[in-house]
Amino acid sequence: MIKVRNLAKSFGSLQVLKNISLEIKKSEVVVLIGASGSGKSTLLRCLNFLEMKDSGEIEINNQVIDVKHTDLNKVREHVGMVFQHFNLFPHMTVLENVIEAPVHVKRKMKAEATEKAMQLLARVGLTDKAHVYPEQLSGGQKQRVAIARALALEPDVMLFDEPTSALDPELVGEVLATMKDLAREGMTMVVVTHEMSFAREVADRVIMLADGEMVEDAHPSVLFSNPQHDRTRRFLQQIL
Amino acid sequence: MDFLINITDIITHHGKAFLEAAWVTVSLTAVSLVMASVIGLVFAFFKVSGVFVLQKVADAYIFVVRGMPLIVQLMFLYYGISSVIVLSDFTAGALALGIHSGAYIAEIFRGSIQSIDRGQMEAARSLGMPYGLAMRRIVLPQAFKRAIPPLGNQFIIGLKDSSLVAYIAVTELFNRALSAQADNFMPFETYFVVGLYYLALVAIFSFILNRLEKRLDTSRTPLPTRKHKEVAA
Repeated sequence: MIKVRNLAKSFGSLQVLKNISLEIKKSEVVVLIGASGSGKSTLLRCLNFLEMKDSGEIEINNQVIDVKHTDLNKVREHVGMVFQHFNLFPHMTVLENVIEAPVHVKRKMKAEATEKAMQLLARVGLTDKAHVYPEQLSGGQKQRVAIARALALEPDVMLFDEPTSALDPELVGEVLATMKDLAREGMTMVVVTHEMSFAREVADRVIMLADGEMVEDAHPSVLFSNPQHDRTRRFLQQIL
Repeated sequence: MDFLINITDIITHHGKAFLEAAWVTVSLTAVSLVMASVIGLVFAFFKVSGVFVLQKVADAYIFVVRGMPLIVQLMFLYYGISSVIVLSDFTAGALALGIHSGAYIAEIFRGSIQSIDRGQMEAARSLGMPYGLAMRRIVLPQAFKRAIPPLGNQFIIGLKDSSLVAYIAVTELFNRALSAQADNFMPFETYFVVGLYYLALVAIFSFILNRLEKRLDTSRTPLPTRKHKEVAA
Protein backbone atom coordinates (compact mmCIF):
# COMPACT_ATOMS: atom_id res chain seq x y z
CA MET A 1 0.00 0.00 0.00
CA ILE A 2 2.63 2.50 1.10
CA LYS A 3 6.34 2.06 0.62
CA VAL A 4 8.87 4.56 1.88
CA ARG A 5 12.50 4.31 0.90
CA ASN A 6 15.34 6.36 2.35
CA LEU A 7 13.12 9.31 3.18
CA ALA A 8 14.94 12.37 4.49
CA LYS A 9 13.62 15.77 5.47
CA SER A 10 15.20 18.83 7.02
CA PHE A 11 13.85 22.12 8.26
CA GLY A 12 16.76 24.47 7.71
CA SER A 13 19.77 22.92 9.40
CA LEU A 14 17.65 20.61 11.53
CA GLN A 15 17.36 17.16 10.08
CA VAL A 16 13.96 15.89 11.16
CA LEU A 17 13.88 12.61 9.25
CA LYS A 18 16.97 10.57 8.45
CA ASN A 19 16.83 7.76 5.99
CA ILE A 20 13.43 6.34 6.87
CA SER A 21 12.35 3.16 5.10
CA LEU A 22 9.16 1.32 5.84
CA GLU A 23 6.33 -0.53 4.24
CA ILE A 24 2.69 -0.47 5.21
CA LYS A 25 0.48 -3.24 3.91
CA LYS A 26 -3.20 -3.11 3.14
CA SER A 27 -5.41 -3.23 6.26
CA GLU A 28 -2.44 -2.79 8.52
CA VAL A 29 -2.66 -0.47 11.51
CA VAL A 30 0.69 1.12 12.23
CA VAL A 31 1.21 3.30 15.26
CA LEU A 32 4.08 5.77 15.35
CA ILE A 33 5.39 6.65 18.78
CA GLY A 34 8.27 8.75 19.99
CA ALA A 35 9.12 11.85 21.97
CA SER A 36 8.05 15.23 20.63
CA GLY A 37 10.46 16.33 17.94
CA SER A 38 11.25 12.76 16.99
CA GLY A 39 9.82 13.33 13.52
CA LYS A 40 6.69 11.21 13.72
CA SER A 41 4.29 13.96 12.67
CA THR A 42 6.61 15.06 9.91
CA LEU A 43 6.77 11.50 8.60
CA LEU A 44 2.98 11.37 8.55
CA ARG A 45 2.73 14.71 6.79
CA CYS A 46 5.25 13.58 4.18
CA LEU A 47 2.93 10.69 3.33
CA ASN A 48 0.27 13.01 1.96
CA PHE A 49 2.70 15.68 0.83
CA LEU A 50 1.65 18.42 3.19
CA GLU A 51 5.35 18.34 3.85
CA MET A 52 7.69 17.79 0.91
CA LYS A 53 10.46 15.26 1.32
CA ASP A 54 14.02 16.32 0.55
CA SER A 55 15.08 12.95 -0.76
CA GLY A 56 14.01 9.36 -0.90
CA GLU A 57 11.03 7.70 -2.47
CA ILE A 58 7.38 7.38 -1.52
CA GLU A 59 5.25 4.81 -3.26
CA ILE A 60 1.49 4.76 -2.79
CA ASN A 61 -0.67 2.05 -4.42
CA ASN A 62 2.33 0.85 -6.44
CA GLN A 63 2.86 4.29 -7.87
CA VAL A 64 6.08 6.12 -7.10
CA ILE A 65 5.07 9.69 -6.35
CA ASP A 66 7.14 12.19 -8.23
CA VAL A 67 6.28 15.51 -6.64
CA LYS A 68 6.84 17.38 -9.89
CA HIS A 69 4.85 15.18 -12.22
CA THR A 70 2.23 13.37 -10.18
CA ASP A 71 -1.02 15.19 -9.48
CA LEU A 72 -0.75 15.42 -5.70
CA ASN A 73 -4.42 16.34 -5.39
CA LYS A 74 -5.32 12.97 -6.89
CA VAL A 75 -2.93 11.23 -4.50
CA ARG A 76 -4.46 13.04 -1.53
CA GLU A 77 -7.93 11.83 -2.49
CA HIS A 78 -6.69 8.37 -1.61
CA VAL A 79 -4.94 9.37 1.59
CA GLY A 80 -7.27 10.68 4.28
CA MET A 81 -5.90 12.81 7.09
CA VAL A 82 -7.15 13.60 10.57
CA PHE A 83 -5.49 16.44 12.43
CA GLN A 84 -4.78 17.11 16.08
CA HIS A 85 -6.82 20.30 16.00
CA PHE A 86 -9.63 18.87 13.84
CA ASN A 87 -9.48 21.71 11.32
CA LEU A 88 -13.15 21.54 10.55
CA PHE A 89 -14.42 24.32 8.32
CA PRO A 90 -16.19 26.65 10.77
CA HIS A 91 -18.29 28.41 8.14
CA MET A 92 -19.97 25.17 7.09
CA THR A 93 -22.34 22.85 8.90
CA VAL A 94 -21.23 19.36 9.84
CA LEU A 95 -22.93 17.93 6.76
CA GLU A 96 -21.42 20.59 4.50
CA ASN A 97 -18.01 19.77 5.92
CA VAL A 98 -18.43 16.14 4.99
CA ILE A 99 -19.78 16.66 1.47
CA GLU A 100 -17.36 19.47 0.59
CA ALA A 101 -14.70 17.30 -1.01
CA PRO A 102 -17.00 14.75 -2.67
CA VAL A 103 -18.99 17.57 -4.30
CA HIS A 104 -16.21 19.98 -5.19
CA VAL A 105 -13.27 17.66 -5.73
CA LYS A 106 -14.88 14.45 -6.96
CA ARG A 107 -17.76 16.31 -8.60
CA LYS A 108 -20.43 14.07 -7.18
CA MET A 109 -24.04 15.10 -7.19
CA LYS A 110 -25.04 16.82 -3.99
CA ALA A 111 -27.87 14.38 -3.24
CA GLU A 112 -25.61 11.39 -3.66
CA ALA A 113 -22.88 12.94 -1.52
CA THR A 114 -25.40 13.86 1.16
CA GLU A 115 -26.73 10.33 1.34
CA LYS A 116 -23.22 8.97 1.70
CA ALA A 117 -22.37 11.65 4.27
CA MET A 118 -25.38 10.78 6.39
CA GLN A 119 -24.26 7.15 6.41
CA LEU A 120 -20.81 8.24 7.53
CA LEU A 121 -22.25 10.47 10.23
CA ALA A 122 -24.34 7.56 11.43
CA ARG A 123 -21.18 5.51 11.56
CA VAL A 124 -19.48 8.02 13.84
CA GLY A 125 -22.72 8.47 15.80
CA LEU A 126 -23.48 12.07 14.86
CA THR A 127 -26.56 11.93 12.66
CA ASP A 128 -28.34 14.41 14.91
CA LYS A 129 -25.56 16.96 14.51
CA ALA A 130 -25.65 17.08 10.70
CA HIS A 131 -27.04 20.59 10.53
CA VAL A 132 -25.16 22.32 13.32
CA TYR A 133 -21.97 24.31 12.98
CA PRO A 134 -18.70 22.87 14.32
CA GLU A 135 -18.56 25.49 17.04
CA GLN A 136 -21.50 23.87 18.77
CA LEU A 137 -19.74 20.52 19.04
CA SER A 138 -17.50 19.11 21.75
CA GLY A 139 -13.89 18.27 20.86
CA GLY A 140 -14.66 14.59 20.59
CA GLN A 141 -17.60 15.24 18.30
CA LYS A 142 -15.50 17.55 16.17
CA GLN A 143 -12.86 14.90 15.74
CA ARG A 144 -15.44 12.31 14.77
CA VAL A 145 -16.81 14.71 12.14
CA ALA A 146 -13.24 15.16 10.89
CA ILE A 147 -12.94 11.40 10.56
CA ALA A 148 -16.22 11.23 8.63
CA ARG A 149 -15.05 14.07 6.41
CA ALA A 150 -11.83 12.23 5.56
CA LEU A 151 -13.73 8.98 4.96
CA ALA A 152 -16.10 10.69 2.54
CA LEU A 153 -13.47 10.44 -0.19
CA GLU A 154 -13.24 6.69 0.38
CA PRO A 155 -9.50 6.79 0.97
CA ASP A 156 -7.28 3.73 0.81
CA VAL A 157 -5.38 4.77 3.88
CA MET A 158 -6.10 7.07 6.82
CA LEU A 159 -3.44 9.13 8.56
CA PHE A 160 -4.08 10.28 12.12
CA ASP A 161 -1.87 13.03 13.54
CA GLU A 162 -2.31 12.89 17.32
CA PRO A 163 -6.09 12.76 16.97
CA THR A 164 -6.78 12.78 20.71
CA SER A 165 -4.05 15.11 21.99
CA ALA A 166 -6.23 18.21 21.96
CA LEU A 167 -9.15 16.54 23.69
CA ASP A 168 -10.30 16.63 27.28
CA PRO A 169 -9.53 13.25 28.84
CA GLU A 170 -13.15 12.17 29.07
CA LEU A 171 -13.62 12.71 25.31
CA VAL A 172 -10.65 10.60 24.19
CA GLY A 173 -12.58 7.35 24.45
CA GLU A 174 -15.26 8.14 21.87
CA VAL A 175 -12.66 9.07 19.24
CA LEU A 176 -10.56 6.00 19.93
CA ALA A 177 -13.69 3.83 19.71
CA THR A 178 -14.42 5.26 16.25
CA MET A 179 -10.85 4.55 15.20
CA LYS A 180 -11.04 1.01 16.52
CA ASP A 181 -14.20 0.42 14.48
CA LEU A 182 -12.37 1.65 11.41
CA ALA A 183 -9.45 -0.65 12.08
CA ARG A 184 -11.79 -3.60 12.56
CA GLU A 185 -13.41 -2.86 9.20
CA GLY A 186 -10.01 -3.26 7.59
CA MET A 187 -8.97 0.34 7.01
CA THR A 188 -5.26 0.84 6.52
CA MET A 189 -4.21 3.28 9.19
CA VAL A 190 -1.09 5.15 10.23
CA VAL A 191 -1.54 6.73 13.62
CA VAL A 192 0.67 9.09 15.56
CA THR A 193 -0.49 8.90 19.14
CA HIS A 194 0.45 8.82 22.79
CA GLU A 195 -2.45 6.50 23.60
CA MET A 196 -0.50 3.35 24.35
CA SER A 197 -3.62 1.39 25.21
CA PHE A 198 -4.88 2.03 21.69
CA ALA A 199 -1.55 0.92 20.24
CA ARG A 200 -1.53 -2.18 22.34
CA GLU A 201 -5.06 -3.15 21.45
CA VAL A 202 -5.34 -2.20 17.79
CA ALA A 203 -1.92 -1.86 16.21
CA ASP A 204 -0.40 -4.53 14.04
CA ARG A 205 2.94 -2.79 14.37
CA VAL A 206 4.34 -0.07 16.55
CA ILE A 207 7.21 1.99 15.24
CA MET A 208 9.40 3.93 17.65
CA LEU A 209 11.03 7.04 16.24
CA ALA A 210 13.84 8.94 17.90
CA ASP A 211 15.76 11.86 16.41
CA GLY A 212 14.35 11.20 12.98
CA GLU A 213 15.27 7.54 12.87
CA MET A 214 13.26 4.38 13.27
CA VAL A 215 14.78 2.68 16.27
CA GLU A 216 12.27 -0.10 16.63
CA ASP A 217 9.49 -1.67 14.59
CA ALA A 218 7.63 -4.53 16.22
CA HIS A 219 4.30 -6.00 17.18
CA PRO A 220 2.92 -4.14 20.21
CA SER A 221 3.09 -7.25 22.38
CA VAL A 222 6.82 -7.39 21.75
CA LEU A 223 7.57 -3.69 21.77
CA PHE A 224 5.74 -2.89 24.98
CA SER A 225 6.74 -5.93 27.02
CA ASN A 226 10.21 -6.44 25.74
CA PRO A 227 11.62 -3.34 24.01
CA GLN A 228 14.90 -4.09 22.32
CA HIS A 229 16.26 -0.61 22.13
CA ASP A 230 17.34 1.54 25.02
CA ARG A 231 15.60 4.64 23.59
CA THR A 232 12.29 2.76 23.45
CA ARG A 233 12.72 1.51 26.98
CA ARG A 234 13.35 5.00 28.33
CA PHE A 235 10.49 6.51 26.34
CA LEU A 236 8.02 3.89 27.57
CA GLN A 237 9.18 4.34 31.15
CA GLN A 238 8.51 8.05 30.89
CA ILE A 239 4.99 7.81 29.57
CA LEU A 240 3.57 4.64 31.11
CA MET B 1 -31.13 82.51 16.82
CA ASP B 2 -29.39 83.98 13.81
CA PHE B 3 -27.56 80.73 13.40
CA LEU B 4 -30.81 78.75 13.13
CA ILE B 5 -32.31 81.24 10.72
CA ASN B 6 -29.21 81.10 8.56
CA ILE B 7 -29.26 77.36 8.54
CA THR B 8 -32.89 77.24 7.53
CA ASP B 9 -32.03 79.71 4.84
CA ILE B 10 -29.21 77.54 3.54
CA ILE B 11 -31.34 74.42 3.54
CA THR B 12 -34.14 76.11 1.62
CA HIS B 13 -31.72 77.66 -0.85
CA HIS B 14 -29.20 74.86 -1.29
CA GLY B 15 -30.99 71.82 0.13
CA LYS B 16 -31.90 70.36 -3.21
CA ALA B 17 -28.49 71.07 -4.72
CA PHE B 18 -26.85 69.47 -1.70
CA LEU B 19 -29.05 66.41 -2.08
CA GLU B 20 -28.03 66.05 -5.72
CA ALA B 21 -24.45 66.56 -4.71
CA ALA B 22 -24.82 63.94 -1.98
CA TRP B 23 -25.94 61.53 -4.68
CA VAL B 24 -22.77 62.31 -6.64
CA THR B 25 -20.77 61.63 -3.46
CA VAL B 26 -22.52 58.31 -3.01
CA SER B 27 -21.99 57.17 -6.60
CA LEU B 28 -18.39 58.35 -6.56
CA THR B 29 -17.81 56.42 -3.33
CA ALA B 30 -19.57 53.32 -4.60
CA VAL B 31 -17.65 53.23 -7.89
CA SER B 32 -14.32 53.93 -6.24
CA LEU B 33 -14.83 51.36 -3.48
CA VAL B 34 -15.85 48.60 -5.87
CA MET B 35 -12.72 49.39 -7.84
CA ALA B 36 -10.67 49.53 -4.64
CA SER B 37 -12.01 46.17 -3.47
CA VAL B 38 -11.03 44.49 -6.73
CA ILE B 39 -7.59 46.13 -6.68
CA GLY B 40 -7.24 45.27 -3.00
CA LEU B 41 -8.11 41.63 -3.52
CA VAL B 42 -5.70 41.26 -6.43
CA PHE B 43 -2.80 42.83 -4.55
CA ALA B 44 -3.65 40.86 -1.39
CA PHE B 45 -3.32 37.71 -3.50
CA PHE B 46 0.00 38.99 -4.79
CA LYS B 47 1.18 39.42 -1.21
CA VAL B 48 0.20 35.94 -0.04
CA SER B 49 1.15 34.24 -3.32
CA GLY B 50 4.69 33.43 -2.22
CA VAL B 51 5.85 34.59 -5.67
CA PHE B 52 8.69 37.04 -5.14
CA VAL B 53 8.00 39.33 -8.11
CA LEU B 54 4.28 39.62 -7.33
CA GLN B 55 5.00 40.36 -3.69
CA LYS B 56 7.41 43.12 -4.64
CA VAL B 57 4.93 44.63 -7.08
CA ALA B 58 2.29 44.70 -4.33
CA ASP B 59 4.79 46.14 -1.86
CA ALA B 60 5.74 48.91 -4.28
CA TYR B 61 2.10 49.81 -4.97
CA ILE B 62 1.23 49.93 -1.29
CA PHE B 63 4.39 51.88 -0.45
CA VAL B 64 3.75 54.57 -3.04
CA VAL B 65 0.03 54.95 -2.41
CA ARG B 66 0.24 54.94 1.36
CA GLY B 67 3.25 57.19 1.31
CA MET B 68 1.63 60.25 -0.27
CA PRO B 69 -1.31 62.42 0.68
CA LEU B 70 -4.46 61.64 -1.25
CA ILE B 71 -4.79 65.21 -2.47
CA VAL B 72 -1.33 64.98 -4.08
CA GLN B 73 -2.22 61.73 -5.80
CA LEU B 74 -5.51 63.18 -6.90
CA MET B 75 -3.90 66.21 -8.53
CA PHE B 76 -1.11 64.12 -9.96
CA LEU B 77 -3.48 61.62 -11.53
CA TYR B 78 -5.95 64.24 -12.66
CA TYR B 79 -3.43 66.34 -14.49
CA GLY B 80 -1.30 63.35 -15.45
CA ILE B 81 -4.10 61.29 -16.93
CA SER B 82 -5.97 64.12 -18.54
CA SER B 83 -2.84 65.08 -20.47
CA VAL B 84 -2.84 61.63 -22.07
CA ILE B 85 -6.48 60.59 -22.34
CA VAL B 86 -9.60 62.61 -21.84
CA LEU B 87 -11.52 61.43 -18.81
CA SER B 88 -14.53 63.03 -17.25
CA ASP B 89 -13.83 64.68 -13.91
CA PHE B 90 -15.98 62.06 -12.26
CA THR B 91 -14.07 59.15 -13.81
CA ALA B 92 -10.71 60.66 -12.96
CA GLY B 93 -11.83 61.24 -9.38
CA ALA B 94 -13.25 57.76 -8.95
CA LEU B 95 -10.11 56.24 -10.44
CA ALA B 96 -7.84 58.15 -8.09
CA LEU B 97 -9.95 57.34 -5.06
CA GLY B 98 -10.13 53.69 -6.08
CA ILE B 99 -6.38 53.37 -6.50
CA HIS B 100 -5.86 55.07 -3.16
CA SER B 101 -8.30 52.97 -1.10
CA GLY B 102 -7.12 49.87 -2.92
CA ALA B 103 -3.80 49.96 -1.12
CA TYR B 104 -5.43 50.01 2.29
CA ILE B 105 -7.95 47.37 1.32
CA ALA B 106 -5.14 45.16 0.00
CA GLU B 107 -3.59 45.24 3.45
CA ILE B 108 -6.93 44.51 5.10
CA PHE B 109 -7.50 41.48 2.87
CA ARG B 110 -3.93 40.27 3.27
CA GLY B 111 -4.20 40.49 7.04
CA SER B 112 -7.51 38.67 7.15
CA ILE B 113 -6.33 35.91 4.79
CA GLN B 114 -3.21 35.40 6.87
CA SER B 115 -5.23 35.40 10.08
CA ILE B 116 -7.02 32.21 9.01
CA ASP B 117 -5.42 29.24 10.73
CA ARG B 118 -2.98 27.36 8.49
CA GLY B 119 -4.79 24.17 9.44
CA GLN B 120 -7.74 25.24 7.31
CA MET B 121 -5.66 25.29 4.14
CA GLU B 122 -3.96 22.04 5.16
CA ALA B 123 -7.25 20.29 5.81
CA ALA B 124 -8.58 21.47 2.46
CA ARG B 125 -5.44 20.34 0.63
CA SER B 126 -5.53 16.99 2.45
CA LEU B 127 -8.99 16.48 0.97
CA GLY B 128 -7.55 16.78 -2.52
CA MET B 129 -8.58 20.38 -3.10
CA PRO B 130 -6.24 22.33 -5.38
CA TYR B 131 -4.84 25.59 -3.93
CA GLY B 132 -7.25 27.84 -5.84
CA LEU B 133 -10.32 25.87 -4.85
CA ALA B 134 -9.20 25.67 -1.21
CA MET B 135 -8.66 29.42 -1.23
CA ARG B 136 -12.05 30.12 -2.78
CA ARG B 137 -14.14 27.64 -0.82
CA ILE B 138 -12.39 27.50 2.54
CA VAL B 139 -10.04 30.40 3.27
CA LEU B 140 -11.66 33.37 1.55
CA PRO B 141 -15.16 33.03 2.99
CA GLN B 142 -13.69 33.02 6.48
CA ALA B 143 -11.20 35.76 5.68
CA PHE B 144 -13.90 37.92 4.13
CA LYS B 145 -16.02 37.67 7.24
CA ARG B 146 -13.09 38.76 9.33
CA ALA B 147 -12.33 41.61 6.93
CA ILE B 148 -15.75 43.21 7.24
CA PRO B 149 -15.20 45.38 10.33
CA PRO B 150 -11.92 46.92 9.12
CA LEU B 151 -13.33 47.06 5.60
CA GLY B 152 -16.34 48.98 6.86
CA ASN B 153 -13.99 51.38 8.57
CA GLN B 154 -12.05 51.83 5.34
CA PHE B 155 -15.27 52.34 3.38
CA ILE B 156 -16.29 55.15 5.71
CA ILE B 157 -12.88 56.74 5.29
CA GLY B 158 -13.35 56.36 1.53
CA LEU B 159 -16.70 58.10 1.69
CA LYS B 160 -15.26 61.06 3.56
CA ASP B 161 -12.10 61.17 1.45
CA SER B 162 -14.26 61.57 -1.63
CA SER B 163 -14.72 65.19 -0.53
CA LEU B 164 -11.23 65.90 -1.82
CA VAL B 165 -12.30 65.52 -5.44
CA ALA B 166 -14.05 68.84 -4.97
CA TYR B 167 -10.69 70.26 -5.95
CA ILE B 168 -10.74 68.59 -9.33
CA ALA B 169 -14.11 70.13 -10.16
CA VAL B 170 -16.36 67.17 -9.42
CA THR B 171 -19.59 68.69 -8.19
CA GLU B 172 -20.06 66.47 -5.20
CA LEU B 173 -21.12 67.52 -1.72
CA PHE B 174 -18.07 69.42 -0.59
CA ASN B 175 -17.64 71.10 -3.94
CA ARG B 176 -21.19 72.39 -3.64
CA ALA B 177 -20.44 73.63 -0.14
CA LEU B 178 -17.44 75.56 -1.42
CA SER B 179 -19.49 77.36 -4.03
CA ALA B 180 -22.48 77.86 -1.74
CA GLN B 181 -20.47 79.59 0.94
CA ALA B 182 -18.81 81.78 -1.68
CA ASP B 183 -22.33 82.71 -2.71
CA ASN B 184 -24.00 83.33 0.62
CA PHE B 185 -21.03 84.52 2.72
CA MET B 186 -22.02 82.13 5.51
CA PRO B 187 -19.15 79.64 5.60
CA PHE B 188 -19.76 78.53 9.19
CA GLU B 189 -23.41 77.65 8.64
CA THR B 190 -22.80 76.16 5.21
CA TYR B 191 -20.12 73.78 6.43
CA PHE B 192 -22.29 72.93 9.39
CA VAL B 193 -25.10 71.83 7.09
CA VAL B 194 -22.74 69.93 4.81
CA GLY B 195 -21.29 68.25 7.85
CA LEU B 196 -24.76 67.01 8.73
CA TYR B 197 -25.18 65.62 5.23
CA TYR B 198 -21.93 63.66 5.58
CA LEU B 199 -22.98 62.48 9.01
CA ALA B 200 -26.25 61.18 7.60
CA LEU B 201 -24.47 59.39 4.77
CA VAL B 202 -22.02 57.73 7.15
CA ALA B 203 -24.89 56.73 9.44
CA ILE B 204 -26.68 54.98 6.57
CA PHE B 205 -23.41 53.35 5.50
CA SER B 206 -22.68 52.09 9.01
CA PHE B 207 -26.17 50.72 9.33
CA ILE B 208 -25.82 48.69 6.13
CA LEU B 209 -22.38 47.42 7.17
CA ASN B 210 -23.66 46.35 10.57
CA ARG B 211 -26.49 44.43 9.01
CA LEU B 212 -24.09 42.75 6.61
CA GLU B 213 -21.76 41.80 9.43
CA LYS B 214 -24.57 40.24 11.43
CA ARG B 215 -25.95 38.37 8.47
CA LEU B 216 -22.62 36.81 7.59
CA ASP B 217 -21.96 35.81 11.16
CA THR B 218 -23.83 32.53 11.02
CA SER B 219 -21.43 30.20 12.74
CA ARG B 220 -20.84 32.21 15.84
CA THR B 221 -23.12 32.23 18.82
CA PRO B 222 -23.14 35.57 20.59
CA LEU B 223 -21.12 35.98 23.74
CA PRO B 224 -23.31 35.78 26.79
CA THR B 225 -24.35 39.18 27.97
CA ARG B 226 -24.00 40.28 31.53
CA LYS B 227 -27.63 39.52 32.18
CA HIS B 228 -27.26 35.93 31.02
CA LYS B 229 -24.28 35.44 33.24
CA GLU B 230 -26.11 36.69 36.26
CA VAL B 231 -29.02 34.41 35.56
CA ALA B 232 -26.63 31.50 35.13
CA ALA B 233 -24.93 32.31 38.41
